[in-house]
Amino acid sequence: MKKSLWSFGTREVVFAAIGAALYGVLSYATNILQIPGAGNVAIRPAVALPMFFGVAFGPIVGFISGLLGNVIGDLLSGYGFWPWWDLANGIMGFFPGLVYIGIKNFKDTSDILKAEGMVIVGVLVGIGIAAISELWVSGVDFATTISINFIPSVTTNLVNGLILVPILMVAYSAIQARSGR
Amino acid sequence: MIANFSYRSHHSIIEKIDPRARWIFALCMLFSIVLFWDLRILSVFFALSLAQFFASKVTWKETKRAWIFILVLSSMMIFVNTVITGVETVGGTVRGGTPLFSIKFPFLDSFYVLTVERLWFALTQYLRIISIASLFIILPFTMDPRLYGTTFRGLGFPDKLAYTMDLAFRFIPTIARDFNVTLDAQRARGFELDKGNINILQRIRRMAPLMVPVTMNSILAGEDIANAMDLRCFGLKKRSWVESLRYKAGDLALIIFSIFILGISLYLRFGLKIGDFWMPGM
Repeated sequence: MKKSLWSFGTREVVFAAIGAALYGVLSYATNILQIPGAGNVAIRPAVALPMFFGVAFGPIVGFISGLLGNVIGDLLSGYGFWPWWDLANGIMGFFPGLVYIGIKNFKDTSDILKAEGMVIVGVLVGIGIAAISELWVSGVDFATTISINFIPSVTTNLVNGLILVPILMVAYSAIQARSGR
Repeated sequence: MIANFSYRSHHSIIEKIDPRARWIFALCMLFSIVLFWDLRILSVFFALSLAQFFASKVTWKETKRAWIFILVLSSMMIFVNTVITGVETVGGTVRGGTPLFSIKFPFLDSFYVLTVERLWFALTQYLRIISIASLFIILPFTMDPRLYGTTFRGLGFPDKLAYTMDLAFRFIPTIARDFNVTLDAQRARGFELDKGNINILQRIRRMAPLMVPVTMNSILAGEDIANAMDLRCFGLKKRSWVESLRYKAGDLALIIFSIFILGISLYLRFGLKIGDFWMPGM
């Protein structure tokens, strides 16, 4: 079947829902891993999931997995709703999804590097938007949001994404043939 | 691990309101609050947020974790902003002012001056953040997760998107169970997440034996679900929903009130130019 970057059919509906549920449950399960001294920034390795779902199933699936998954994770943890941080998570899944069409072999080094490049862009843009929104919502200045929000979140999300997305891609290449798609 | 939603019925008046009306109220309040830096106006929003919080009958015990999270994060942000960096906030309105005390920076020919204005601004920031937090913190505790899909469909979201939300909530118990089974199976093979003196990178890599099997199993199950849905012609016609929502008079009144608040706020801020940073004697 020919891949389309912006299609949102049955398969995308199912995988966006699975991606969101996985991200929500695994973030809740790993919320205990906090970075000491970095303002409640959890390590949350599960953030690699929306990035991977973007790479494997397209930008819309990645975006919904990130946004809805973050909502679910916060619902399970009882943290309330933080729409601009939910959006940031959606964007972190969206950008890696832009290489979806270009991925030929999930084990191939060049395809993995393409995905890694977009993981970096997604994290910088997504967290950048959320950090800038804190200027507007909390009224903090630029230096504060950079030191408290941007740097800790970007560092942890980049480390998680860069380590775990390739592992998930290689694992997916092994089961991809079984899906018959 | 048991993945439980925080929701349980509190038999409160808030839970009787249509969730769509509650979302409209929360979003109108959010957009209104962020327009203002005047503590007197923010106090009105704070009172409304608190009224909603107390009407929801949500207890301190239930929300303690969320409050600690919000208070620690906002305190850090406000401390750094007020004491360490805060000079450029809201167009520099807190530049200058009445000094409380000053400290000379070592090795530099300059002083740090904490002013009354900076402290008052910090208080305004707290009030803003806590007003917003009180609005959204109660949602997980007072809104039935089964209604999210139909709520967002009712708010104008496309059918497929609302169905995705509904489906995601239904997958949670299965995924939580798979996670537990995988964790137990890996532990039986000697897997330990925290064992030994390991750094953060090693700890993240150790998540792979947990994350990979759960994700790949879910993807394989997802292929079957997508095939079954295709066979039932999913997406060809407009969906109907098991749970249906109907606005009552009170819900409509809340929506009108929410739009009125947002309208008044926009008029005050952009029509009358009211709502900039304020402190007594200014």
